[in-house]
Amino acid sequence: MEPQLFAWGANSYGQLGLGHKEDVLVPQALKDVSCKCQDIVSIAGGGGHSAVITGMGQLFVCGHNKDGQLGLNHTEDVLCFSLCTALSGFCVKQVACGWDFTIVLVGSGLVLSCGSNSFGQLGLPQISGPCLIPQKIESLKEKVVSVAAGLRHALAATDSGLVLQWGTGMASRAKRASQGKALPLFLTAKEPCEVTGLEDVKVRTVAAGSYHSVSLTDEGHLYVWGSNKHGQLVSRDIFLTEPKKVDTQCFSHEKVGAVWSGWTHLVAQTEAGKVFTWGRVDYGQLGRNAVVPGGQQSTASEQCLELLCNTPVSVPCLNGASQIACGSEHNLAIVGGQCFSWGWNEHGMCGDGTETNVRVPKPVTALGCAKQILIGCGAGHSMALCETPH
Amino acid sequence: MAVFHDEVEIEDFEYDEETETYSYPCPCGDRFLITREDLENGEDVATCPSCSLILRVIYDQVGAKRA
Repeated sequence: MEPQLFAWGANSYGQLGLGHKEDVLVPQALKDVSCKCQDIVSIAGGGGHSAVITGMGQLFVCGHNKDGQLGLNHTEDVLCFSLCTALSGFCVKQVACGWDFTIVLVGSGLVLSCGSNSFGQLGLPQISGPCLIPQKIESLKEKVVSVAAGLRHALAATDSGLVLQWGTGMASRAKRASQGKALPLFLTAKEPCEVTGLEDVKVRTVAAGSYHSVSLTDEGHLYVWGSNKHGQLVSRDIFLTEPKKVDTQCFSHEKVGAVWSGWTHLVAQTEAGKVFTWGRVDYGQLGRNAVVPGGQQSTASEQCLELLCNTPVSVPCLNGASQIACGSEHNLAIVGGQCFSWGWNEHGMCGDGTETNVRVPKPVTALGCAKQILIGCGAGHSMALCETPH
Repeated sequence: MAVFHDEVEIEDFEYDEETETYSYPCPCGDRFLITREDLENGEDVATCPSCSLILRVIYDQVGAKRA
């Protein structure tokens, strides 16, 4: 068995790493990955760029590079995965790709960033323009264990469980929603700023949507803040300026073990393996077109679905998923060793050969019987590492 | 009536001085675009060159003309 990397979906900037810029509706194997596919341990994507990490801690990147988000010290788009040599002295542990920037967590707990800094999303206020090679965010003093990147903001969770946020992406929405009331500093900061309201909990991992943030604590509780335009924060308010705990009742009183975020929808998996979705629903993002609370199938009207979208609902066919990844408006999951996709499909990101939205998770049959071992999504594209027979 | 992907305030767009174009992230990875001229002419639909998705731009037309 030799692992192969497959990519499909939107490809305006060469983010699929296939050597061209044509959209791809059915998963295609990459011929030139620059690294051994068997070494890949993590796959991530941003607005128009992609990144993979090897077990050795090397970062390979491709796609949109207008603002230097690939960290290659130039601004030309790159059509095949290329080694980010500027990070050669570091062991890369996690990469979070934002809209037009990249946040890199390395082994020692340091965080580096590159790409656009228009909204202070690099956490480097001393740098006015974009940054073409990853720079250390010196103001992050404590060891970082998790990073996340949204459209115009980024997050880090530290070893002691604090959350820091930077980038002003949410500020204008917060200002309009709060009608002149003072905003917490972390919503308007251009360098890492502690998120207040989480003092009594220890956060393990962070996730970011377009204009919202998510924190998962060591006790399996979710805290959310930011824009709630599509019900993604399980709240009635249009904007939450401070973290709010999502009631554990929403997850059948089970602890949450992992959380992922699309631009305006969320996916959480409980420690017992149940998968819940909520937030924006109009392209099939929630994978539960006809599922109502209680689990029974129904021909619920669209209006009824609108009302339910701000409540986490379990999607039984995703029970026990071993991995999940969210694009902007689509998703991938590995269930029983097989890759499933659902959501927006205009660019073929669901990989079924059509451009019709996929409202209920279905297997990506083009990947065949290959064992699917690793998945990752960018905004409008999908990637999977598969073990295919020789 | 067209279905808008979203409605976005003009202040949330990025502006490119050279092309006099406002842009905003599209979920496909490309950008919704609308020129300053379009706005001045009362146009309020930003389109994505790679997509069928469209955005409604929320702005004050008088302000746009003055700018």
